[in-house]
Amino acid sequence: MRNRFDEQLFELNREIIEMGSMCEDAIASASKALSTGDMELAAKVCENGSAIDRMERDIEDRCMKLLLHQQPVARDLRLISAALKMITDMERIGDQAEDIAEIVTFLNGHTMEGMEMIEEMAHETIKMVTASVDAFVKKDIELAKKVIARDDVVDDYFSRVKCGIITLIAENHADGEFALDLLMIAKYLERIGDHATNIAGWVIYSMTGTHKEV
Amino acid sequence: MTSKIFKSILSVAIAVLLASLVIITGVLYQYFGTMQESQLKDELSLAAKATQQLGESYLQNLDSDRYRLTWVDDDGTVIFDSHADAATMENHAGREEIREALVSGTGSSTRQSSTLTEQTIYEATRLEDGSVLRISVSRATALVLVFGMLQPIIIVLVIALLLSSWLANRMARRVVEPLNRLNLENPMENEAYEELSPLLHRIHAQHLEINSQMRELQHKQDEFDQITGNMKEALVLLDNTGRILSINTAARMLFGAGKACIGEDFLTIDRKHNMCLALQEAYVNEHAGFRDSKNGREYQFDLNRIDSDGNNHGMVILAFDITEQVNAEKHRREFTANVSHELKTPLQSIIGSAELMENGIVKEEDVPRFVGHIRQEASRLVYLIDDIIRLSQLDEGAEMPREDVSLKVIADEVCANLADAARLKGVSLEVTGDDGVVNGVRRLLYEIVYNLCDNAIKYNNPGGRVRVTVAGKPGEILLSVQDTGIGISPEHHDKVFERFYRVDKSHSKQSGGTGLGLSIVKHAVQYHHGKITVESEPNKGTTISVLFDTGA
Repeated sequence: MRNRFDEQLFELNREIIEMGSMCEDAIASASKALSTGDMELAAKVCENGSAIDRMERDIEDRCMKLLLHQQPVARDLRLISAALKMITDMERIGDQAEDIAEIVTFLNGHTMEGMEMIEEMAHETIKMVTASVDAFVKKDIELAKKVIARDDVVDDYFSRVKCGIITLIAENHADGEFALDLLMIAKYLERIGDHATNIAGWVIYSMTGTHKEV
Repeated sequence: MTSKIFKSILSVAIAVLLASLVIITGVLYQYFGTMQESQLKDELSLAAKATQQLGESYLQNLDSDRYRLTWVDDDGTVIFDSHADAATMENHAGREEIREALVSGTGSSTRQSSTLTEQTIYEATRLEDGSVLRISVSRATALVLVFGMLQPIIIVLVIALLLSSWLANRMARRVVEPLNRLNLENPMENEAYEELSPLLHRIHAQHLEINSQMRELQHKQDEFDQITGNMKEALVLLDNTGRILSINTAARMLFGAGKACIGEDFLTIDRKHNMCLALQEAYVNEHAGFRDSKNGREYQFDLNRIDSDGNNHGMVILAFDITEQVNAEKHRREFTANVSHELKTPLQSIIGSAELMENGIVKEEDVPRFVGHIRQEASRLVYLIDDIIRLSQLDEGAEMPREDVSLKVIADEVCANLADAARLKGVSLEVTGDDGVVNGVRRLLYEIVYNLCDNAIKYNNPGGRVRVTVAGKPGEILLSVQDTGIGISPEHHDKVFERFYRVDKSHSKQSGGTGLGLSIVKHAVQYHHGKITVESEPNKGTTISVLFDTGA
């Protein structure tokens, strides 16, 4: 009986890693589509969004079954409840990557100065997502703490991108719509950073049983 | 064990008890029966004598509780009975003992009462007057006796029960104790029951077998680790749930995995989406493969499902470093594209000129110029093809005859051949240094010096200088070609040796090169195991040095 439970926990662990990997893929592809203006890639990110949603439901089902049938305690219970929260954050990351890809399709290859900073920001965000999934995979509390600390960097990027966009609009009214799209993308990236922070927080919770005070 | 011993002890006890009960009861009953009969006979003979003398009065006066006396007439009518009223009694002529007595003088019989609880023994004798006197006594049957003894028997049984359970416990303990104390690690050193020695021998044999199997397994494992550890390819074995069973050193490096990863999910060391997909595909289709770049190098990943007897036992993941292969492929593709392009350009020019002449558009006096153009382009084509042939020869790496060649002599030869070109460009040529004898392929060495000097002249400024220096040092010879030309900016230094690479693409036609010169030089130098270095600064000049190892 216990063996079966361990097996199921193992499966759960694997599915979360897979879902994390899918999210990494989605945000990396979305950011690549943004910098290269690759419409096909952007369209693919939008398609993969539903796969992430499906994955979330599958993991949710598995968690519920585990909770009902095995009535786990202590560490196992924490892992499962953390998993339930983590997949919500992951699903949001997937959604926001999808949103970014959608904006990219609207932009239709349109570029302008000020993009570089968003690319840097996207790069930083991807690193955060990867690190948060890594922290879960390796059960590495130190890495999770680093992810949480890194959130400030992304927040800082956001305010800088915002200032840049304000001057952009002030100088060039014609590109106002484009500037707003960029702002949206920056906001999505900032949100993805927050979700990565949450995931890192849940990793810490699943191992120590306490939340790191933010 | 205890219960088995208990059962056997108890059953033996009960069997012995019952047997002795039956035997004793049977023998004693028989014995007392005979005693009673003979006593009865004595009593009867006494009573018969007395009755013959005294008649009925004796019988009436006889006071006997133990015996019952009955006097029966010869026709069976009861004359007297000591325990009942004779008048009410039926005719006794039919009774067995009476009949016997009437016939033979004495008779006896034994009858059970209707409830089987009593047995009556009768003895009869015939008196002189023909009447019969009978005496009888009642006694309990054997069954009644046994019933009477039921209580003590039960007590004995209970005692037997308790005793046998106690004994069984004790015996079991005593039997098992030495067994529990057996040292199974060294079974032959035990001093236990003799009966156990076959078991101990068997355990000993099994120990030996297990040890040898363990050693063999360990040996095989070591062998496997040795082989996979020295493999350049990364190898990972997974079980059927995707956990890592074995991972070799190359794979550890490739996936950046630590020692503790064995037994972990493979996804914990590589969770890339294409790997997940390939794993899923391999679980379904037995095989999957993909290419991916990792740590800056290209790898070909091959995944194979391991099946045996129709069961899935796991997965083998093999990763080859195909960076060189990919680069070579890329180079080949680029080379083919470049060659086609380079060959096409002069041909287009030839066709253009020829078409103009064919259609009579060219004036008579211009014809020599056009023909000259055609010849020029055609010879350019020939140069190009010559270069390509030389390169492909070098690529094939075929052995060519080696001889001792002086680099100085070659340099002089080259300078003589290029003197015209140098004069046209207004560049001075100069050769200095030692003999520089190298054991190598003369044609290739000539090619090296020629191409370097040709470039030095071609990319020089009017009034510039080209100096070829041959410097012999112990064990090595340095050939350097120095010019005062336009130079090469640092970012191009690595690329100038690539095929068809041109620093300034717009001037290629003007300078007339094929873009293959330095590539040929590089290959020729490699053929001689030499080293080539570029030092250059834009607008100041270039020095290309070739270092030959003479091995002396």
